[in-house]
Amino acid sequence: MVNRNPVIAVIGAGIAGLEAARQLADLGYSPVLIEKEPAVGGHVAQWNRLFPDMTPAAEVIDALKKQTAKIRTLLGTEIASINRLKDGFSLVLTDGTSLLCQAVLFATGFQLFNAAKKEEYGYGIYDRVITNRDLEAWFNTRKDMRIKQPEAVGFVHCVGSRDLKAGNTQCSKVCCITAIKQAIEIKEEFPDAEVYCFYMDLRLFGKKYEDFYIKAQRDYGIHFIRGRVSEVGEAIDGRVVVKAEDTLNGKPVKVTLDLLVLMAGIVCNPDAQHYARQVGVSVDDDGFLKSRDNIAAITESSRPGVFFAGACTGAKTIPETLAEARSAALNIHHYFNKRK
Amino acid sequence: MDFGFKRSPSSAVNLDTVDHARYDRLVQLEPDALTCIGCGSCSATCTAAPWSGMSVRKVILGLQRGRDDEVDRMLSRCMLCGKCTMVCPRGINTRHLILTLCRLDRKGEVVR
Amino acid sequence: MRERFADAFNPFVIPFLIGMLFVLGYCLVAMVRVVAQLPKADRKRFLLSLITPKYIWMNIRDIFLNCLIHVKLWKRNKVLGYMHSSIAFGWFMLIVLGHLEVMLFLPERIHFFYYPIFFNFFVAETETTLEGALLMFLMDFFLLMVLSGIVLAIIKRFASRIVGMRRTTRLSLLDRVGLYALWSIFPLRLLAESFTAHISGGSFLTIPMNWIFRQFLGNDLNALPTWWAYSVALCVFMCVLPFTRYMHIPAEMLLIPMRNAGIRIRHPRKGFALLEVYSCPSCGVCIDACPMSVRKVNCQYTTVYLNRQLRRGNERRIEEISDKCLLCGKCTAVCQVGVQGPELRVAQRQRRKYALTPSYAGIDVQPMAASVAGAGGVLYFAGCMTRLTPSIRRATTSLLDKAGVRWTLMDEEEGLCCGRPLIMAGRPEQARELIDKNLEIIRASGCDTLLLSCPICYRVFKEEYPLEGVRVVHHSVFFQELIAAGRLRPARNEKEKFVWHDPCELGRGCGIYEQPRAALAAAGELVEAGRNRAESICCGGSLGSLTLGFEQRRAMTQNALDNLTVSDPSSIVTGCPLCLSTFGRYADRPVRDIAEILDSHC
Repeated sequence: MVNRNPVIAVIGAGIAGLEAARQLADLGYSPVLIEKEPAVGGHVAQWNRLFPDMTPAAEVIDALKKQTAKIRTLLGTEIASINRLKDGFSLVLTDGTSLLCQAVLFATGFQLFNAAKKEEYGYGIYDRVITNRDLEAWFNTRKDMRIKQPEAVGFVHCVGSRDLKAGNTQCSKVCCITAIKQAIEIKEEFPDAEVYCFYMDLRLFGKKYEDFYIKAQRDYGIHFIRGRVSEVGEAIDGRVVVKAEDTLNGKPVKVTLDLLVLMAGIVCNPDAQHYARQVGVSVDDDGFLKSRDNIAAITESSRPGVFFAGACTGAKTIPETLAEARSAALNIHHYFNKRK
Repeated sequence: MDFGFKRSPSSAVNLDTVDHARYDRLVQLEPDALTCIGCGSCSATCTAAPWSGMSVRKVILGLQRGRDDEVDRMLSRCMLCGKCTMVCPRGINTRHLILTLCRLDRKGEVVR
Repeated sequence: MRERFADAFNPFVIPFLIGMLFVLGYCLVAMVRVVAQLPKADRKRFLLSLITPKYIWMNIRDIFLNCLIHVKLWKRNKVLGYMHSSIAFGWFMLIVLGHLEVMLFLPERIHFFYYPIFFNFFVAETETTLEGALLMFLMDFFLLMVLSGIVLAIIKRFASRIVGMRRTTRLSLLDRVGLYALWSIFPLRLLAESFTAHISGGSFLTIPMNWIFRQFLGNDLNALPTWWAYSVALCVFMCVLPFTRYMHIPAEMLLIPMRNAGIRIRHPRKGFALLEVYSCPSCGVCIDACPMSVRKVNCQYTTVYLNRQLRRGNERRIEEISDKCLLCGKCTAVCQVGVQGPELRVAQRQRRKYALTPSYAGIDVQPMAASVAGAGGVLYFAGCMTRLTPSIRRATTSLLDKAGVRWTLMDEEEGLCCGRPLIMAGRPEQARELIDKNLEIIRASGCDTLLLSCPICYRVFKEEYPLEGVRVVHHSVFFQELIAAGRLRPARNEKEKFVWHDPCELGRGCGIYEQPRAALAAAGELVEAGRNRAESICCGGSLGSLTLGFEQRRAMTQNALDNLTVSDPSSIVTGCPLCLSTFGRYADRPVRDIAEILDSHC
């Protein structure tokens, strides 16, 4: 018996989930947003400004929130168990409710690499070492004891990315542009500070990203040093001392900094892996969920009725995420049409 | 006849004529050496670097570019402490790489 | 008793005589060779020990306890212990009692080599005496003991799990020949003695069997083939013995006195090393113990196979096995004979020829010596690895400050490696150069204590550096002493459960097990891992292995973690920066250095 008004469980109410839910509602379906945090918006809601146009993140989130205001959203709720049925899925949530749906959309997003695992960088040991997330939060709230009129700031690229020892050999795609964006923002905040970016490679592939790089060099005088930081030490006065090799020069380089920002990479959300296995969807060897085809069907899984949108299948930029969310909604629409 | 004026040899590396017998033998014995991205973590963390400029990255690059004397000079300062192996993001067993290289003569044969 | 045959001879004893003479001759030559191969000083020391009463007593006691009773094996596994001691001790008693019988009844035949072994063939019982009955009872009793051991041995070869061994050694062809010969000796002896029991006398085992046989075979001459078979079995066993693992029987009897005299491995293929290789009984206890054997493919790198390859001279395999080893020392800890796996492998690594020889002569340590000159007090050498785990250095210096200890850092900006990684890689002369350089700095400081937070450094400073007047101490021991003296007062929180991981270099390497535990117990509740102390499982991150890749170590680390978390601790505590980073990568709960724990509690 075909359901006239199919229900879709959207796991995660970050920008992928919100945008997909909006599209699905516009198409006439009943999506249900399940979000484990007490608020929607996911990671983007915690950010300050977005590249390449420095759009305030709040604008993007508020627009999405307004458009999804009427959609059934369960906040502070996680999935206790999820099972595949003959014609759909049955979910049991942590607040006790039970949900029957005809399709599942994974919009579970990513998790930030735990920078404390790279002990040699001293996150959690030295006061002056923070992560990209901490810095972005400071841009929003201006409340962080560790950031006090720095005269020298360093950014370390690829923390937890492209690193076999950290358990993640993938490039996290967006950290390079984020690092340059944050470096520019620091310079705007503290114009007299010296800012250094320590990189292995600079990956600036997107629209207007290279212009950002040129701006960082020409207008802000940010120093780019090609060398991976190997050790961070502490000076007597509490400042941090960074050691790297300036590979373009072939000589070791050392600098004392007031603030060191670690660009923590993107890894898959472990909860997503857990739910994926319960519905029979496999996890790829890079840890992210496996799409049916990485070129032609990235929003579809190998199982009927299970779809993906956003960072759950790999690191994504915001426009890519929103595009995938719309695409997934369309996939779901066609899926239901075929079943009629 | 030599009047004492000489054109200095070009400092450019001519990849057509470079002798990389040692490098070829090295990657046979330690294939992971091929995956080096030259990030410089090993150089930065090297215990012997302050006195010798030792760097596994430079050793690998030097072998590829035929700079054998420099490579030998650097290799003879390695203390085998193992820090480079600990930090390499590509997971190369740099200690084994160094020990293997120390056993090869200039032609790339293992010394017996 | 009277003799049955006037010339006290029968051709069937010839195989036995051949075997006996061969094996005795071989062992004598081998023993002389091994002693001659020792370096002069060691040889002198050993020969002197043979006439020193203290050592004579120690040797007799150790040979009895280890070669005959196999005390160490009993402690490990009672079934295996019984199996080996029943065979060894039982056979020994049969030989002793055989000689006793000859001395008692036919003393004029005592110089006939084979007489005690084949006693029951050559004699006929004339009267039943008490001592005769007792002796025959004992002979049957020990024969039964040996036979029960043989039965267990047969079971072990086919179903090793029943006797508690997960994996056992793969045998070579000659080993098999020796094994089957050994298995057959005693059943054949039982058969042979049973056939003649109605003439020579017997006891509870041989008499009933004799009665059964006489129902089928009336002619006494039928007994002869069984005695031939017995003699041939003995001959085969003794002739193959020097080429099989059974060489461990005579070899261990020489190994124990040498080890007691303090002889150590010097040359990788001669002298003491050769003796250890031949003493290996190929029992396979090291296979289960080796941390690498978590992955089945790695079983081929265990010490038992190294010994086999050393005997065969297979250079390629010797190099492979020697380079792969983590040098954790667990095989030595469980070895029944005490074959020193890591030392053998390091000795093999020293044989390697190199085209390039490192030299550190050009390093000027004057600036470093000047920076610590005259400092006195405690000199803290953080070490190479500690730079990659800065939390350890921070916590250690913080604790030193809290205890009011005067300290100086030896390698603040830069430092030389302690030298142990070079020694482990088989380049001790180069390590010597580094040691001399470091000594300059230590002596310049005038310190009275050298503090280490890394057990790899600690071990080399203790064993290889001539530092008279300077106390070399590991930070876990130092802090435990400060706690005991009341200079550090950790606030105990019994809700925190700690498990202490014994690092290979600190525990098995230096014998430090209790002090770190005492220090931890002052901070919280201490629980134990499944296997600990001398049997703790290596974290898998050891520098000892030259060829193990990063991904291959993961299974070992996971196995070690599973062992550590059996009592469900809230955090794992260790005393080595290498263990800290290795465990920290995969553990599901916090991994901390002992200095960090104590610092957060003080």
